Formats: sequence, structure tokens, C-alpha cells
Amino acid sequence: MRRFSLALTFCIFLVIAGVLIGLVLYPPLPALAASLASPEIRFAIGLSLLTSTISTAICVALAIPAAYALARYEFPGKKVVSLVLTIPLALPPLVAGIALLLFFGTTTWGKLLESMGFEVIFTPLGIIVAEVFVNLPYMIRILKSAFTAVNPRYENVAKTLGCTDTGAFLQVTLPLARPGLVAGTTITWAKSMGEFGAVLMLAGATMMRTETLPMALYLNISAGDLDMAVAASVILILISLFALFVVEHFSDEAHVF
Amino acid sequence: MALHVESVSKTLGAFSLNNISFDVKEGEYFVILGPTGAGKTIVLETIAGIHTPDTGRICWDGGDITHAEPRARNIGVVYQDYMLFPHLTVEENIGFGLRQKKIARERIREAVEKAADLLGIPHLLSRYPGTLSGGEQQRVALARALILQPRVLLLDEPMNALDSAMRERMRKELARIHRLTGTTVIQITHHFEDVFALADRVAIMNNGTIVQVGEPAEVFWHPKDTFVAEFLGIGNLIKGVAHRAGSLAEIVAEGGVTIVAASAAQGEVVATLHAEDVIVSKAPFASSARNCLPGTVTDLLPSGSTIKIVIDAGFPLVALLTRESCRELEIAPDSRVYATFKASAVHVIPVNGEEG
Repeated sequence: MRRFSLALTFCIFLVIAGVLIGLVLYPPLPALAASLASPEIRFAIGLSLLTSTISTAICVALAIPAAYALARYEFPGKKVVSLVLTIPLALPPLVAGIALLLFFGTTTWGKLLESMGFEVIFTPLGIIVAEVFVNLPYMIRILKSAFTAVNPRYENVAKTLGCTDTGAFLQVTLPLARPGLVAGTTITWAKSMGEFGAVLMLAGATMMRTETLPMALYLNISAGDLDMAVAASVILILISLFALFVVEHFSDEAHVF
Repeated sequence: MALHVESVSKTLGAFSLNNISFDVKEGEYFVILGPTGAGKTIVLETIAGIHTPDTGRICWDGGDITHAEPRARNIGVVYQDYMLFPHLTVEENIGFGLRQKKIARERIREAVEKAADLLGIPHLLSRYPGTLSGGEQQRVALARALILQPRVLLLDEPMNALDSAMRERMRKELARIHRLTGTTVIQITHHFEDVFALADRVAIMNNGTIVQVGEPAEVFWHPKDTFVAEFLGIGNLIKGVAHRAGSLAEIVAEGGVTIVAASAAQGEVVATLHAEDVIVSKAPFASSARNCLPGTVTDLLPSGSTIKIVIDAGFPLVALLTRESCRELEIAPDSRVYATFKASAVHVIPVNGEEG
């Protein structure tokens, strides 16, 4: 059993590592460097970084109070709210994207927002909206378990020592939930960098306009430019490795999944 | 009356408080004694303002504080697991309350050092709570609460997480702090020893209600109902004055009878003796046991397969016998008997934390 399971583990390791390394090594190095330096890839990197960072910041800002409420308070309909907040977790991003497209494209609310200048269909703003919609449930879920793990008596003591509710949260609970916050933020950011389905549906894949890294990969592979597609992939692999590293580093303390 | 708790009820998940009323005088050491799950912690948290009562009110010096926020009450809390903030140093933990008041850094530092001195922990200031022992954490938690000079200090089972030697030390420590600061203290516990060592008055709690309130002697010698009697069911409580006799202590009980106990205690004490540790015989019983007191049986109280025998040995002494032994010894009211027990079976509690 031991020998078999170890051998199997090693085989799986070889396949995964081999496939990824094969991808990175496919184009000759100078060609990879040239692709990475091309205006299109540089634009894609910039747009991906910008939209992911903004959407992650929005996710954090929304998830902290929402996760805290779910962790600490009892309110009518809590179960239903929890469930609905979790739906996008299990939903294919393509479906989330088409739902967003229909909401913003066909409903009165969507049109009202558009008339107020909030244009999301086939625009860079749409990328951010799609990323927030898909990733917010992850963030809430991770933070909720991080807050639940902090004994509420810490807050009680802080309040008897002169803190307001908010003060107790900011000075005690939030610092104690830091590992979960760091892990959640990193995962959200990395998932935003790689988000494809929802972004494709809502923001489209317009070259040099809504062309994030996954879009660059998709557009170039469609056009048969393999070197460019690999360049986009290499960046995405690096981002995954970075996210894994951060999450592993904090995962002892954070209750991520 | 400093603290006045009036008809407070509160339901919190599976726990509930039911029409709780009591008063605590200024400077008093008030102990709430009850079994686990009696709702003692909820009482403390409601006084501290963490929970708002469903009905009833809480007053301080006549002013209603039922709906005041915890931070407006100036009531300190020390939980049994201390709840030191793990991300802050000992110094930052102790200074936490003053920092909320936006007091100058140097003034906070001075106050922290003073509080640390009071509790004998100045050498721990730069450490993190995770590196401290239970006793050290408790001192830090006390310092953190005391630095704000609270009008009431609430202690949630402060001795629970400590071993028995540390418990004894902590009792003395709490008595000393109470004497030095004059703070009103409300402590909850399920150790009756704490009551004699510390309490001015005691409330007995069961099932979310307060069953009896009074001075320790009153509650222990005149339990109001069978719950109190059984919860306190230690058998014998002997009040007396102890003095050293070699390696043992001789305790002159209130009736003038002397008993011997394996203890180093001196002065005013309460001695406890389990009823099952008392051997009853018709003739003086020659053995290694240090105590053999003659007496007269005054009462026979059957309880299950055993019988409690109350013997007047100068003070009322309770022994537990099986029905068979009772029959064989032909024990009846007014029988002359001898009660024998070992010095090591007598547990001595110094009153008011003073010892040797």
C-alpha cells in the first residue's frame, strides 16, 4: 500500500509538473521574452492588475461587514441569506456572467444605472463588476470562518475596557482574524487575475480594451499565435504560485476552506 | 447599596436567568457560588453590560444603568480563560483601557508599571500572553482590569484553570488586592473554599435563579433548601481557631472541643470533614487516627442505603453509616458513641486569606 500510494503520488507530481514546464518551455526563450514585452501582453498585464486590485479591494470592503454579521449576529432569514450568498460559489462563472449581462442589458435597473453613467457591458468597468460578483462569496466565506474562530469574549473584554463596538472590532477581532483576511484577499486577487467566463460574458474580449490576461490567452490561441498565448499563461502560472505561497504560509492559522 | 440587581431575567440560547435579585455593598467581596451551568457567567456579563436584560433593572448608587453601554459602566471583567489579547504585549494589554481614553503615552506607561508592581509582574511587560503561565496570565488580566480603577471587579471562576497550590496562592492574592484597592468584587465560583477564604457575603445559584443570599456562616449552617444543603454537602463544617502543635494544627472548635488537623494554618479557620470519613464506635476506638471524640447521637437521617448520624460532640458532627452498621452497633437517638477520624481527613480553610 505504502509503495503503491507513494509511486502514484510521484506519478501525479511528474504529470502536473511536466505539463506546466512543457508549456513554459514550448516557445524558444527569445520568442517568449519578445511576446512578454509586446504592447498587447503589457496592456493585458496592466489591465488585469488594475481590475483585480480594484475588485479585490471592493470585495474586502463588502465582505468584512457581511462576514462579521454572519459570524456574530442572529437575524431572521439568516439561513436563506447564507445560502444565497453561497450560490455563486457553485455556479459556473459563465452562467454568472450571462445573468449579469441580462441584468445590466435588459432590466430597468440596469438601464437606469447605464443612464447614470455606470456602463458595464463590454467595458473595463464590466470586468470589475464580473470579478466582484464571482469572488465576493469566497471572500465572505473565508472571513466568516475567520471571525467565527475569534472568541467573542475578547470583544466583551475590550468593551468593558472602554471600546465602542467598532473600536473593539478594529482593535481586537480584525487583528486576530488577520491570517484569514490575508489568505482571503490573496485568493480573491488571484482568482480575479484568472477570471474568464464571467468577464467574457459581461465585458467581452475586445482586443486592447477589455483584454485581460485570460482574454489575451483566448484571443491569441483563437488567432493561432501560440507564443503570445504562452506568454499570457506564464504570467498566470507565476500568479498562481505566488497565491499558493501566501496561502500556504498563513494556512496554519487561517481556516480557508 | 452600591450595585442593585432587580428582577433580572434573560434568555440566551439554552441558558436563562430567572428573576434574579441581589444587592452588593460598596467595597464588599461578594461570591456567587453554584454548579456548572447555573448561569453564573451570564449574570456577570449582564452586570458588565454585554447582555441587556429581557426584564428587570440594574442600578449603581441609585442610578439606572440597565441600558448603559459596557464602556460607560466602569466595571472590570476577568474571565476564567483570561482573554488576554494575544496580538498585544503584556504592557499593551494592561494599558489597553487607558489607551482608549487617549491618555498621554508616558502617563499610560507609569500607570502600567504601577499596576504591574501591584501584581508582581513588572518583569513580564515585554512578553506576549502566549508565553505566560496560567497564573501569570491571570495577574495580567487582573492588572488590565484594575488599571481603570473599576467600581466593580467581576471575576469569572478565577481559580478554575489553576492547580490547587496555585489556587491557594491566588486566593491570598485576591484577598490582598481587595484589601489594597477597596474595589467591590463579585466573583463566581463552584469551589466553596473560595467562600470562606474571601467572601463577605455569598449567593447560591442554581438553574438560572438565586436560591439563597447571606453571610457565609448563615448560608452554610442554615441552608435554605435541600439543593443548597446538598450542593454544599461536605458533611461537616467546623468553625474554630487553629494553632500549631508540632507538625499539625490544633483547632479549638466553637464548643470548646479540640480537634487535630494536618495543616499549617493558624488563626481563624473553617475545617471541613466528609461525613464518610468519620468512624463510629461504641467504645473508644484504638487506631492511628488522631481524633476520637465522645458524643451523643441526636438524630438519624436515612438517605438511600445509608444513614446520616448527627452526633453532639461539643459541636454537631455528621457521620455516614450503612444501614447494616447502624443495626449492628445498635445506634439510636441518645446512644453514647465515639467518633474517630484522621487528622489528614480534616481540611482546613483559613478565613479571609490569612495564613501562617
